[in-house]
Amino acid sequence: MKRSPQLQRIVDRMAPGALCREGFLGADRRPLEEILDADRSTVAGLGLTHEQLGRGLGEVLAAAVAAQGGPARVGERLTAVHREAMGRIPSPWPGEGTFPKGEVELTDEAAGLTLRFTALSAHLVARHGFYQGRGSPYRLEPDVLARVLGMRGNAGLHK
Amino acid sequence: MVQILLATALVSGVSAVAAALLLLAERFLARYGPCTIDVNAGDRRLEVEGGESLLATLMSRQIFIPSACGGKGTCAYCKLKVLDGGGPVAPTEAPLLSAEELADHVRISCQVKVRNDMRIEVPGHLLSVRQYRAVVERMADLTGDIKELWLRLAEPETIEFVPGQYVQLRAPAYGPNPEPVWRAYSIANPPSDAGHVELIIRLVPGGICTPWVFKVLAEGDEVVFTGPYGEFGLTESGEAMVWVAGGSGMAPFWSIARHMRERQIRRPCTYFFGALRRRDLFLLEEFRQLEKALPDFRFVPALSAPAEGDRWDGETGLITEVLERHLAGGAPEEAYLCGSGGMVRAAVKVLTAAGIDRERMFFDEFT
Repeated sequence: MKRSPQLQRIVDRMAPGALCREGFLGADRRPLEEILDADRSTVAGLGLTHEQLGRGLGEVLAAAVAAQGGPARVGERLTAVHREAMGRIPSPWPGEGTFPKGEVELTDEAAGLTLRFTALSAHLVARHGFYQGRGSPYRLEPDVLARVLGMRGNAGLHK
Repeated sequence: MVQILLATALVSGVSAVAAALLLLAERFLARYGPCTIDVNAGDRRLEVEGGESLLATLMSRQIFIPSACGGKGTCAYCKLKVLDGGGPVAPTEAPLLSAEELADHVRISCQVKVRNDMRIEVPGHLLSVRQYRAVVERMADLTGDIKELWLRLAEPETIEFVPGQYVQLRAPAYGPNPEPVWRAYSIANPPSDAGHVELIIRLVPGGICTPWVFKVLAEGDEVVFTGPYGEFGLTESGEAMVWVAGGSGMAPFWSIARHMRERQIRRPCTYFFGALRRRDLFLLEEFRQLEKALPDFRFVPALSAPAEGDRWDGETGLITEVLERHLAGGAPEEAYLCGSGGMVRAAVKVLTAAGIDRERMFFDEFT
């Protein structure tokens, strides 16, 4: 199916060097539509929504930012550290404004899992169900994300 | 089946012809001819060839409006008032402009095409911005992810600026990045050293410009930047003040502090600088020396998570907690902040609670 010019522009903005050094699609050879479909299916299978997962990331981000670079405890299992960076980055979807740079490292020590995400990547999850392409430095596997956030179907962030 | 194939071929052919006609029309008909841009009610009149964006057109005439996105309409730094001739607001502009800005004829200049005569307003301080070529004289690591660059100006050979202003450094196309990008960094040296520009640059994860600085740029390389920009800097009030910064937010204050020392500006100042661990602090000895030269200047570094081996006997806690403790005994009249959005927001709450008027708080605009 032919891609619309609007979606092609979004894909162009996801390329390395367009908005950030490594882009948003990593080494993923799948078209964006397929990436979105696959992740949508995974999230639905978990009994969750993109908004729930994005909201969970937002809560972690807020706690990490408030800790101003130090470790922030999130619930009983998680530690989040925000690494600030000057400047802002726009969303690949036009008209959504810009987001502060910097990243959060979220660690579940008991499970041995560490995720990295940004304010923009949290927005892209919540708003577009876009978890980025495989190989992207901020790719979030929805099932892993749900596990780390302690989310199950119809449930919020487990503290 | 044959009919379907014929119909498909016909539609494809018509589409191809239409596309070719559009391209030809764009190339030969969409020439807007000579246009006049009136800048600041007759202060300057630019005779230009239409067709390019307003941002690019002004740049070709040595008027350098700040832009961090290469004219892609995403950073919103290139706002200008277009009083006449700008055409309708583009869909790419509207989300970046407030209702007040739209009512005030503010536009995103990289999204405005020069098609006819125009009247625009350019803030006066932008008309003195120039493009500079410089050579990297020295690079030094201040911390594991912060570098200091000394750039020796080549053309022009000197720069005039006010402590607190910034420049836009051009990172060329390299590696996976197909186009040059411009990024803003505060000038860290005092204006007396007019032949140099010092920059303090922190590596941005996934960034485009800072990895070029950290991994590609070398001493002896030539760079291009524009500037100076910005209105962050000390007021003339002479009143007591507090500064709050972290990480590369040090840069404008390093410029301002050395300027104060050179001019013996005896203005009471307490500078709170926050970091995580001892290895994240820098210029400690330099500021200790500065305290001796300016008796009314006090430098308060603080660590929020000192490591065991840091042997740190200074202030500990989040910088905003340290600030709150110190302000308990009374607050100055003015505050200057440069750092991440989270730190600045937290600091504003503390400063407000301490009684500092919001209008007497000044922010570096990249927070």
